[in-house]
Amino acid sequence: MDNANIGRHISGQFNHDLENVINQAMHMGGLVEKQLSDALKSISQADRELAQQVLQNDYQINKLDVSIDDECTRIIAKRQPAAGDLRLIMAIVKTVADLERIGDEVERIAQVTLESLSGPQRDLLLSVDDLGHEVLALLQSTLNAFTRMDVKAALKAHKTDEKIDQSYEILMRQLMTHMTENPSSVPQLMTVIWAARALERIGDRCQNICEYIIYFVKGKVVRHTSAEDIKKLI
Amino acid sequence: MNSANSVSITAANSTTANATEQIALEIDKLNLFYGEKQVLRDISMSIPKGQVTAFIGPSGCGKSTLLRCINRMNDLVDDCRVEGKINLYGDNIYHRHVDVAALRRRVGMVFQTPNPFPKSIYENVIYGLRITGEKNRRVLDQVVEKSLRSAALWDEVKDRLHESALGLSGGQQQRLVIARAIAIEPEILLLDEPTSALDPISTLTIEELINDLKKQFTVVIVTHNMQQAARVSDQTAFMYMGDLIEYSDTNTLFTTPVKKQTEDYITGRYG
Repeated sequence: MDNANIGRHISGQFNHDLENVINQAMHMGGLVEKQLSDALKSISQADRELAQQVLQNDYQINKLDVSIDDECTRIIAKRQPAAGDLRLIMAIVKTVADLERIGDEVERIAQVTLESLSGPQRDLLLSVDDLGHEVLALLQSTLNAFTRMDVKAALKAHKTDEKIDQSYEILMRQLMTHMTENPSSVPQLMTVIWAARALERIGDRCQNICEYIIYFVKGKVVRHTSAEDIKKLI
Repeated sequence: MNSANSVSITAANSTTANATEQIALEIDKLNLFYGEKQVLRDISMSIPKGQVTAFIGPSGCGKSTLLRCINRMNDLVDDCRVEGKINLYGDNIYHRHVDVAALRRRVGMVFQTPNPFPKSIYENVIYGLRITGEKNRRVLDQVVEKSLRSAALWDEVKDRLHESALGLSGGQQQRLVIARAIAIEPEILLLDEPTSALDPISTLTIEELINDLKKQFTVVIVTHNMQQAARVSDQTAFMYMGDLIEYSDTNTLFTTPVKKQTEDYITGRYG
């Protein structure tokens, strides 16, 4: 959070409160990243135990979501933050909400490991794994941009989501073809479709977090704006 | 010092201060000196009619001095010298032929501490009209009711208009002083930290009143309370050591200020 200038408030307690909430948000980001990484590993290694563990661990993310929201509410009530401080709190509240939803999406991905898939269907999981690692890399670069409040890195990550959308389209076509050729596989493959969809949604949520970083640093709202227009705006 | 000097700043981003908005006050390259010491430097800004404009900044930044320039209260200070212009609807109030008493009828002022006269509530309100020689009882009664209603005080004092104003609470006294100021129907109302001596509930009552007053008057307020500026004003000017650093619509200034000095001040950081 080099750009946030947290430590310069006259009130040391305010510095401490902000630092605390930022650290919690970063900790939550780390947990979400580990959950996604574990969910993908559980698919590639067919590790049902690890998948169960991912499902069980989601409560930690939910707990952080609630406690960070509480802390931000307290800061708003007690400090009435303005300007950069207000934008920081808003960015954290919104980022945390997106991280919590990413946690929920990760649960859907872990569910794939628990499905009993046959040989040809398992081959499709390789494509899910590829998409998964693209999304994991995007999540990591988004969280790095958040940690440093780095607009340049956020812009780069924001653009990466386009590539993920393309990979998702290709995977969906593969799945459709397989289901057309093997209608009996549809029930099992629905779980795979949900997982692919969950990965695509994680990409979108990373994009949202990048937009909050830009909002905090630049004070510009770039949501629902094309990449070209974002560049013009900032 | 910041490059805000000598830049003519209007509330350009304001949703209300647009091209069709009438400008009540135009401050143009205003400099003010107390003896050798320069207290205001090249202040230029436009204050729109029918809106609330707030001046904020740390102690000694010149915000109260600038406010007092608008009705020439600084004329009463020895060694005070003013350069530049303040146009009130196009008329320069610092022109040498200006009748200062007439100016102060157009530009009313309310101070930090409530200062009712040791007279009845009724006499306080009509004090200005008495000076102008108004004696018609019916006119005076009407003005008292209208002013006290506008100052949101009528319901609380209508049954004791002839009791001493000194028996009112601090918040009521300040509203009485506002009623006295608006009884002579000024065009501009200057408020110099009007709630700094009041409790939070009285403060909210005055803030609500300010919101109503702007329908009839152009209000300029100096306040140390930034949340108050954020709540009541349409435009906010941030001043620092005699310079106007940033002037924009209040929503912008409190969420995305342009100047670092403004950001540091409103977020409570070391300058």
